[in-house]
Amino acid sequence: MPTLSLVGMLQRSLVHRKARSFSALVAMTVSAGVATALLTLYADLDAKLHKEFRRFGANVVITAPASSPLRPDALGRVQQVAGVDASAAEFAYAVATTDTGTPVVVAGTDFAAVKRLDSWWQVDAWPDPAAANGALLGQRAAQFVGNERAVALTYAGHPVTLQAVGRIKTGGDEDSRIYMPLAAFTNWTGVGPSVIEVQVPGGAASVESTMARLRQELPEMQVQPVRQLVEGESKIVDRTHALMYGAVLLIALTVAVSVLATLSASVLERRRDFALMKALGGSQGQLIGMFLLEALVLALAGVAAGFVVGSAAAWAISEENFHTATLPHLSVLPLVLLLNVAIAAMAALLPLRVLRGLQPAALLKGE
Amino acid sequence: MFFRLLMESFVRQRRRKMLAGVAILLGTTAVTAMLALATTIGDRIHKELAVYGANIVVYPKADLLDVKVGGVDVKPASGGAYMKESDLEKLKGIFWANNITGVSPELAFKGKLEGSVNQNFVPTQVIGYRFIRNFLIQKQALALHPWWRLNGKWPEGGMADASEVVLGSKLATSLGASIGTAVYLKKDNGSYAAFALDHETRPHTLIVVGIVDSGDQTDDAALMDLTDVQEFLGLPDAVSRVEVSARTKPEDAFARVDPDSLPPKQREIWYCRPYANSIAYQIREAIPGAQAEQIRRVEQSEGNVLSRISGLMWLISAAALLAAGFAVSAAMATAILERRGEIGLMRSLGASKGAIAFLFYAESGLLAIFAGTLGYFLGSGLAAWLGARIFAGDGGSAQAVLIPVLLPVVVALALVVAIAGSTPSIRAALRMDPSTILRADA
Repeated sequence: MPTLSLVGMLQRSLVHRKARSFSALVAMTVSAGVATALLTLYADLDAKLHKEFRRFGANVVITAPASSPLRPDALGRVQQVAGVDASAAEFAYAVATTDTGTPVVVAGTDFAAVKRLDSWWQVDAWPDPAAANGALLGQRAAQFVGNERAVALTYAGHPVTLQAVGRIKTGGDEDSRIYMPLAAFTNWTGVGPSVIEVQVPGGAASVESTMARLRQELPEMQVQPVRQLVEGESKIVDRTHALMYGAVLLIALTVAVSVLATLSASVLERRRDFALMKALGGSQGQLIGMFLLEALVLALAGVAAGFVVGSAAAWAISEENFHTATLPHLSVLPLVLLLNVAIAAMAALLPLRVLRGLQPAALLKGE
Repeated sequence: MFFRLLMESFVRQRRRKMLAGVAILLGTTAVTAMLALATTIGDRIHKELAVYGANIVVYPKADLLDVKVGGVDVKPASGGAYMKESDLEKLKGIFWANNITGVSPELAFKGKLEGSVNQNFVPTQVIGYRFIRNFLIQKQALALHPWWRLNGKWPEGGMADASEVVLGSKLATSLGASIGTAVYLKKDNGSYAAFALDHETRPHTLIVVGIVDSGDQTDDAALMDLTDVQEFLGLPDAVSRVEVSARTKPEDAFARVDPDSLPPKQREIWYCRPYANSIAYQIREAIPGAQAEQIRRVEQSEGNVLSRISGLMWLISAAALLAAGFAVSAAMATAILERRGEIGLMRSLGASKGAIAFLFYAESGLLAIFAGTLGYFLGSGLAAWLGARIFAGDGGSAQAVLIPVLLPVVVALALVVAIAGSTPSIRAALRMDPSTILRADA
């Protein structure tokens, strides 16, 4: 008679009851897959939400005091302090008179930077960055301009003629302004930029620390947060975070308990095997080890398959919802592994009390 | 006989029934909670997004251009157009009236404040708001400016001798005023010369009742009750600007088209969708001489955030549904597989395959209905609890999340999953030879 090795018994037990092993494997895969998908999404959630909030535009405004204009290198220094991920644009303002004699606010800025910063502006055509006199007319300002092809403006006796390329529609103050390139603006009015708007990425803490660094770097300027943006953002991100956390716990618990029910039932069902092995001289420890090992093998296989399935699901969900991919996070693997192994171990150990009380002889006789 | 079998099965095999029942219960609990949260998340997040303020602004069509730099309005004072405050009642009659969650009228003018009589002049933007809730329509300046932080109290109108005023924090510093002190208001030179001439020379006394810190241009402004400002200017019923907060549908390509260029049928569809553009269009129709625009910074970004978060919740609910379905059907399969011996016995006693299958399906179905119903209530409770915890302190978040429509949906889902999960096991057990089962599994 060939000796029965542990591995041999394990193999036979898994292969012999193919249907049972398969359903246990599916259960473990589902639990690992769900845990992987949710944890992966959860890990990426904050970054993704903060990215959505960047559409609100600038969250920090730097204003020069009325007495002194911004230094020429101010924008470069702000960009340096805020980091490459931040977008910043500088603005210069003056009140000029249109050809119909109406006073209007004219703003000089860098269109490329504004386009990146203020993605909510509805602009039908952005001016060509090479054109020195291309301008954007606010939709209300346009009503007070006589000739849109050649917008004639006067500032302190100096005339300038701009070519209106497009219209802006925002529903805010921008609607009553005329925007033109900064270089041409300074040439015309002699007024330099006085405001820098910055979009600092990240949550309230990172905005706060960037502001502190900006204040240190530019002590003469006024650095202010756009309060409702900064506060609202962290509040909503926190709440969504908490909601997601609740969902993760809830779903993980559901799947875990169902899997536990399935697995422990299948262990209980093998009371006869247990009795036979005990009758043949197996010790309690050996038997428990046997059951545990079987459950662990299933759990590990489940984690391997579940990680792939779950990462794919997370990728699909974030592609569908946020239109950016979420790559598999290897960092969630230990937690998923722990969860699955814990479920498997509990499933193997839970029915133990029932099994210990069994009399092998009685069970084998069929009572 | 059938019912006795069914009954006995529940009474005698409590442990097995428990396991399958608990699986179904938890599955339906999770699914109900997720679905209940997903359906209410839109409203909840909209409430949170209210911190960004109004998403639609209404101003008189004939108004002059705003000449505003850094919050200081340098618009020439002559002229200016107004809307009628009484016209705001018409907002209740527009198609999407129920989506309008807040209306805040304001009347602003340029004035001069003095810290003490004839000293320390500060040119100031004075803005009248409605701070108290009007019972006809919610006119709350505060609801639309939740980022205002007040020290003191909001001004009340109609005081006999001296009006109450709240100063912006920077303005209060430059005036050297604090709560309880008096400041003096004059009109800026030449403004509104046609009205109330005596205010040009004789200052109006205001009592400071609060200091507001807003972090924006309001820090430099003085806030008063709208009625007081209307009286001061001699412009009863006039408002210069109205902010509106409305629940809207995120903008898509269809929302951006000009409704007047659409064929009538398409136009009607456009009109009956709660886009910010269509609500603004309806406001323009309702209030004569008014121009309504969406505030794109708020509206565009809000819609985006809203659709992302609720989309995420729906997708996670779908994932929860799938996972719970798998888990429940696996549990059901095991529960049936365990009872092959019983099936063998019944068949050897002469029961037909159909009768046995029916018995087992009836058991699964009963279990699904009981556990599913229980799970629905548990899940609703859980959703309410989670919602209240996460969105605490919004007011109105204690609303019950018992959504009756979900009950049949959830129970039907539980039934389908339980029966689908049992089918392969029942079929496998029926296919086996009874004698084999009985011998192998005694």
